[in-house]
Amino acid sequence: MVSEAGVGRWVMLCYRIPREPSTPRIAVWRKLKRLGVAQLADGLVTLPADARTREQLEWIADEISDAGGEASIWLAQPATARQERDLARRMAAARAAEYAAVSAEAGAAASAEVREARRTGERLRAELRRIGRRDYFPPPERDTALAAVRSLLDSTGAGDVQQVSS
Amino acid sequence: MRWATRAGIHIDRAACAWLIRRFIDPQARFVFVTDPGDVPSDAVAFDMRGVDLSHYTGPDGAADCTFETILRRHDLSDPVLWRIAAIVHEADLDDERYDAPEAPGLDVVLRGLSMLCGDERILELTGPIFDGLYEYHRRALLLGREPA
Repeated sequence: MVSEAGVGRWVMLCYRIPREPSTPRIAVWRKLKRLGVAQLADGLVTLPADARTREQLEWIADEISDAGGEASIWLAQPATARQERDLARRMAAARAAEYAAVSAEAGAAASAEVREARRTGERLRAELRRIGRRDYFPPPERDTALAAVRSLLDSTGAGDVQQVSS
Repeated sequence: MRWATRAGIHIDRAACAWLIRRFIDPQARFVFVTDPGDVPSDAVAFDMRGVDLSHYTGPDGAADCTFETILRRHDLSDPVLWRIAAIVHEADLDDERYDAPEAPGLDVVLRGLSMLCGDERILELTGPIFDGLYEYHRRALLLGREPA
């Protein structure tokens, strides 16, 4: 949803979770990382708002409350388009680093023995799917990584790499 | 009985509605609400924040989706339903707890349907899909291999 100022809607999770026990705190952090959130401040993370991202953050908010913490969900709009661009750029840069790591691994595996190369290719293909799910502003590194994994798998005679959608 | 859940249903709620109608309450009627405060007093709410039949996170941080919670609460131990629970779990939570290759496809189908139709219609359309999934996995379990 884009407003008159040209900025979109964002869903924010504001939370505080006890440091101990650490298991629920770490579980929450892993889930947030997996969703690809941008951290705005300590205990404040955000994602572009859609039905899925809002729901995922709501479940995590419940989990934080159950663990004795405090959590609230907010819908927000950046006050300026520039602020939103900076946020999007930051998130794209985080994904770009993940894609670059996949490209590097695919490149390194190209000289491996065929069975090993195929195993690596299949693992990287799954990794690309995971990254794709948290990629809200696809950077150019995405296409490079897709191509690298495709060519690795092609060289081993394995199937085509699926296009990952965000 | 009346059952209430959040409007704008996706995989977990669609699967739960099917489960409720087939295995718990054949006369079930469903109400879709946008605000948890709008749940009618005579309705059982599911897949909403703060209700019993919802997501559940264990002490180890591993989460159950609502479909799994309903199976536990109603002591439904049918292994075919638990196989479907694994698919729904992965389509909904995508945390790789189960190996369920059907999940990404089912997720896309449900997301696409939610772009085209309302909640009532999604239940009509997905009922036969879950019936089919159930029959396939029932046969697979009996045969011990993929059915033809």
